[in-house]
Amino acid sequence: MSHENTVKENTEARKIQLKNFLKANGLGDIEPEDAVKMAFMSEYKTLSPSAKRGYVNAKQFFNAYNFNTSGEFEYHHVAWRSLFVPTEIMYAMNLIPYTTEMVASQLAMAGASSERIETAEGSNFSGDLCSFMKTVAGGVIENIFPTPDILLTSTHICDPSAKYAEIASHVYKRPEFVLDIPYGIYDLYRNKKNKADEKRIEEAVEYVTEQFYEMIEFVTQKTGLELDEKKLKQICKWTNEARKYLDEGNNIILYERTSSKKGIKELDYAANLMQTWGTEEIVDVYKSRYEDYKKNQHEKREITVPRIAWFHLRPYFKNQLMSYLDEKIEISGSQVNFVFFDELDPEDPVRSIARRTVMHPAYSSVMARTTIAIDKIPEDTSGIIAYYPKSCRHFHGGAIMENEMFKKAGIPILTIDGDCVDDRGDDFPIVKTRVDRFLKAISK
Amino acid sequence: MKKTGWFCTYTPVELIHAANTIPYGIRNDSKAEHEDVLLGDSMCSYVRSCMGGALTNAYDDLSGVVIAHSCECMRRLSDGWAFRQNQIKPKLIHILDIPKIVTESSIKFFAGSLKRLKNDLENEYGPISDESIFESIEKYKTTRILFTQVEDMRKNIDSAVTGLEVEELVNDYFAMPVEVFNEKLKKFIDEKKDLKSDDLKPRIMIAGGPGNKSLIKAIEEAGALCVCENMCTGSRAFAGTYGDEKDPFELLARLYLEKNPCPRMLGEKSRYKTDELPRLINDYKVDGIIYFSMKFCANMQMDWALLKNHTDIDIPMKVIEGDISSEINEREVYSFVKRLKKRKKKNES
Repeated sequence: MSHENTVKENTEARKIQLKNFLKANGLGDIEPEDAVKMAFMSEYKTLSPSAKRGYVNAKQFFNAYNFNTSGEFEYHHVAWRSLFVPTEIMYAMNLIPYTTEMVASQLAMAGASSERIETAEGSNFSGDLCSFMKTVAGGVIENIFPTPDILLTSTHICDPSAKYAEIASHVYKRPEFVLDIPYGIYDLYRNKKNKADEKRIEEAVEYVTEQFYEMIEFVTQKTGLELDEKKLKQICKWTNEARKYLDEGNNIILYERTSSKKGIKELDYAANLMQTWGTEEIVDVYKSRYEDYKKNQHEKREITVPRIAWFHLRPYFKNQLMSYLDEKIEISGSQVNFVFFDELDPEDPVRSIARRTVMHPAYSSVMARTTIAIDKIPEDTSGIIAYYPKSCRHFHGGAIMENEMFKKAGIPILTIDGDCVDDRGDDFPIVKTRVDRFLKAISK
Repeated sequence: MKKTGWFCTYTPVELIHAANTIPYGIRNDSKAEHEDVLLGDSMCSYVRSCMGGALTNAYDDLSGVVIAHSCECMRRLSDGWAFRQNQIKPKLIHILDIPKIVTESSIKFFAGSLKRLKNDLENEYGPISDESIFESIEKYKTTRILFTQVEDMRKNIDSAVTGLEVEELVNDYFAMPVEVFNEKLKKFIDEKKDLKSDDLKPRIMIAGGPGNKSLIKAIEEAGALCVCENMCTGSRAFAGTYGDEKDPFELLARLYLEKNPCPRMLGEKSRYKTDELPRLINDYKVDGIIYFSMKFCANMQMDWALLKNHTDIDIPMKVIEGDISSEINEREVYSFVKRLKKRKKKNES
């Protein structure tokens, strides 16, 4: 299909898809233009740092359905993105990423994920598949997501996400490019014994760099969009700046103290999963967060509630657990906000993005990623709460080993087997009993 | 002679053989799934069987293992094995990362991984020459040629080869020295080549990943014939076309990555799989497909949804979800076979 016809077909499809999306969220009576205007009623600069983050995400979300923030039509080239596909190159090619896991959590927040899950389960998707991807699969069947121009997938970390993109490519009849990311390079980096190991790390970086160039060529061939190299340099500078503010903000809450109310909103930054790396707006979001924490920074005081480092994500559906925890604990760090990468090199952007990609510590052994946490978590942290969906083989499957390692290092940990988007098995009283017991134990 | 364990059919066993050890394919027979106290209940039953086996000395006669990073469950198996290394006897652990796409770059990169595997094997077992690798390649090439002959016999409508017989052969391949297995294959072919069956039963293909050891038995006892096992404990273990690379690592990398794909594969290779299925149905004259989808294997589960929802296959397909060692619901199999019999009769009339 020609680029022109794809644009034409997508334009028509997305009009219906946004209406369907609103209907699925119980907003079927609202015209899409009005829904967009309602989402952006507050002026951006008046918002809290966390609300700014939400604003940027909402803007990109509606852009994917061809609306700008004023509710007017504006065509955007959309790339369906599986988690961990770097976004900087997409922005430098004028592509809007559409990260399906993020949309699944949005649906959960609106109380609209379980119905999508049931749609998927009724259409040959197994009950024990990742609930994020079942939400997405249901949404695709119900035609509520914008038809992408292209799909960019990565083998990083999560099997179901990459496999589902393949199905989405069949459904939408749009081309898919798959990035193959070598596993365990971070382990090799930590344990390197000789020059052969160093060489292998560089081979992995080279392998992924080559694939990025192939991906750029593929996008150009399939959409007509070209890489703006000058823009990519600027984008890398924004990523570096955002990285700096994110890291400084993290350091204040992890090693110092701030009276800024963080609560569960701190978890919602989920920086390492976000599709906003490489935008100018995300610099402002992390800068505002840092400035807010810095402004209210004070000396270490006597601990009144336990300081907890949070691992993985939280339940996004309406639940009692997080509001209960908001009163009982202080979040002193979040695993998914951890700055794991060095600055990008704007003079060699593609290679430095490849290096960051292959060196992702989450795509390494449980032992490596746990050792980082043991090294980073300060002694005055009371403990860790890890919230792992049972359908996540990657994180849930490492929980027992992780527990042993933390206990050996003298860091108490509570692992909650839960779900982030599927509320059908949510049982607060049982989880509360475990949380209370844990908090009592660490208070001693 | 020393033995080295392997888990996934993307592991080039030729290198293990060239190290002068017997490659031993670890299957679903540790009987110790419940002994996995390390990885937890969100893992597939194959990985739990392997981990449980390792923790209960089931693999003590192995000198080492090559754990393929083929999926997220195998990733955690490699962690568990390394984490409990002091309690597990096989000394060598090599984690072999396997690309999920097939391109010239991925073949080259995988060849680099195989060189690292060779280095680790040499450290444990002594030097491995290119000549010895090529000698091993020749032996396994013979296996592939012979197994293809068995598969060709099964394509005939009056084939006298049963699924249970082939299952036994595959089991032997996983456990026996290749030299012994090749002789066994030759003998099997000699015995079967002139035999014909006049009992024309519904012909079933099993698809999926590692199978369940009761499944073929249940299908054939229900009155059907398994003619093709498109799975890693079936024809996929013997698939592949040899290139003319002079470098043995590149030759093996291409052979293994380009073979008929497992559900783990992505990109063009995975798309090829959906196109390949109609060809297999045609070649083997298949009347129905049973997809054995292992619980907690996202790759198989997604693959099933893709096949069922998005491919044009005009023969009945049925999914059976289960564990590698769980009981098979025989009534479920029986009713599917009954449906195929009715359909076959209707088509013939």
